[in-house]
Amino acid sequence: MSMELNWGLPVIAYLFLAGVGAGALTVSASILLRGGGGHFGGSHFDMARYGALIAPLPVMIGSGLLILELGSFHAGHWFKFLNLYTVINLSPMSIGTWLLTAFIGLSLVYAYTFLATDGAPGDRWDALRRSCAWLGVPMGISVAVYTGVLLGAMPSRPFWNSPVLALIFLFSALSTGVAAIMLTRTLFRKFQIRRLEAVSASSSTRRTSDLDVEGQYHQSGYILAASDTLLIGLELTAIFLFLIFAYLTVGDVRYAVSVILFGGSLAGTFWFWVIFLGLVLPALVELYYVTQRLLLHQSFAVPLGIEIVVPTIVLAGGFMLRYVVVVAGQITGPVGI
Amino acid sequence: MDQSKAPPQESRRAFLKGLSASATLAAAVAVRPAAAATRTVQYGMLIDTRRCIGCHACSVACKAEFDVPLGNTRSWVEYVEKGEYPNVSRNFLPRLCNHCSEPNCVDVCPTGATFKRAEDGIVVVDPERCIGCKYCVQACPYDARFINPVTGAADKCDFCLHRVSRGIAPACVETCIGRARIFGDLNDPNSEIAKKIATNPVSVLRPGMGTEPNVYYIAADHSDEQERRRGSYVRVTTHRKEKERR
Repeated sequence: MSMELNWGLPVIAYLFLAGVGAGALTVSASILLRGGGGHFGGSHFDMARYGALIAPLPVMIGSGLLILELGSFHAGHWFKFLNLYTVINLSPMSIGTWLLTAFIGLSLVYAYTFLATDGAPGDRWDALRRSCAWLGVPMGISVAVYTGVLLGAMPSRPFWNSPVLALIFLFSALSTGVAAIMLTRTLFRKFQIRRLEAVSASSSTRRTSDLDVEGQYHQSGYILAASDTLLIGLELTAIFLFLIFAYLTVGDVRYAVSVILFGGSLAGTFWFWVIFLGLVLPALVELYYVTQRLLLHQSFAVPLGIEIVVPTIVLAGGFMLRYVVVVAGQITGPVGI
Repeated sequence: MDQSKAPPQESRRAFLKGLSASATLAAAVAVRPAAAATRTVQYGMLIDTRRCIGCHACSVACKAEFDVPLGNTRSWVEYVEKGEYPNVSRNFLPRLCNHCSEPNCVDVCPTGATFKRAEDGIVVVDPERCIGCKYCVQACPYDARFINPVTGAADKCDFCLHRVSRGIAPACVETCIGRARIFGDLNDPNSEIAKKIATNPVSVLRPGMGTEPNVYYIAADHSDEQERRRGSYVRVTTHRKEKERR
């Protein structure tokens, strides 16, 4: 390919990382507001905690990477990006700048309320935590959606110029956010089980669940796996809509989408890494374990290896989705001159 | 480099000065005074490709005028070759910024560094404000923009603003040996360019993008390499770093 990519790896990584952070915050805040702050302490609260502690980091790293991609930075004007803060206009990038700044601030405050290892629902940070969560859900969704709008705003880039793209990015952000929480939770498995034991030992009055500690741990895993399966299903639906509408049209969009359809230069990468490895395979594995609990009422217990591999390939697929979209958008353009 | 830096700065000052002057003048008359009252001039270019011999004098003049860094082009000439022997042709397509009436690059600029001048319709970049995010490079359907490695800002043709503001024709127009290029005010019905456009079949590039370009062509060959998919042979030589049109 002789095309020069104006937006390369930093932008690809940013789109992925912002999605993970936005997804983690949205999922964490949703879990907290759904149950963690009330009577469902224990494992729910821990999931919300992991999401909250993860959220700011990828978004901050991703935003930092964006600065490395700027032409002014390459020319030695290292702080010229601050010009972004002198303007508010309707450019998706301007909106995104302010949105990301607000997101980073909010997610840091939200993470701070979870910082204490003995944090629990109803502690002294509870009010602030719940306020942040109420703001966090729309804020996370906005950041995830805006990354799609950023690319979609240009008629000169027919591959990106689709309203469905923002939806794909939203579902991918939520799904990779869940995956990030799953992975963290698995890696800190021992820590969480110890915490659950401490909680159940100390609070004899507050019955968190009928399950034992091991069962509680797997119960939280069930909720994550089930929601991830649903999110992947929605993402596949959105991708299907993106592809079918592009395929059934004529002209620019039809030519652009052909790079990821059979015979296209990015088809192999797209269908193997994004569709199979990143979406279909993890969804099938999760579905296998989820249906056992859902239909056969067996206890939900996933082997450690699976609990590590599944979120890892979901995250890898999320990255490859951004890679394929960013590259495909830049190697295609309007037909004719 | 200093040369390339100077005009937009100057233009921005002039733009603001003009804006405030016209605003006070027209404030009493209309609700939206600034844009409507001052946009009387829209500079544009008409390129008669029948008179173009593909000599690249315009590209060279532009390079010399702005000291455009090696590997980048504000103005360039594409060769379009097509057909099967003996029915073949080679046509030339001189390219530059279209100074669109609906510039998508301006819409996406997050710092307001790129804007369309109200007084003459020239789309300019203020390198002092531009952070080099490349959003406008992506948004331009004509690949007219690039990041200047010296300034780190977006760069492109500005219709030789420093010459035009002194009443001199742009460098590419002045140097064209075939007199293929006509520069002038499209909104003045008595200008040479307006008369030629009114009396000839003209076209603009990629009208489907909705950008309403102000660079017009006579007898432009709109063939693109994409047409190979339909079985006809077309080869486009861009003569720039980007070997293919996007």
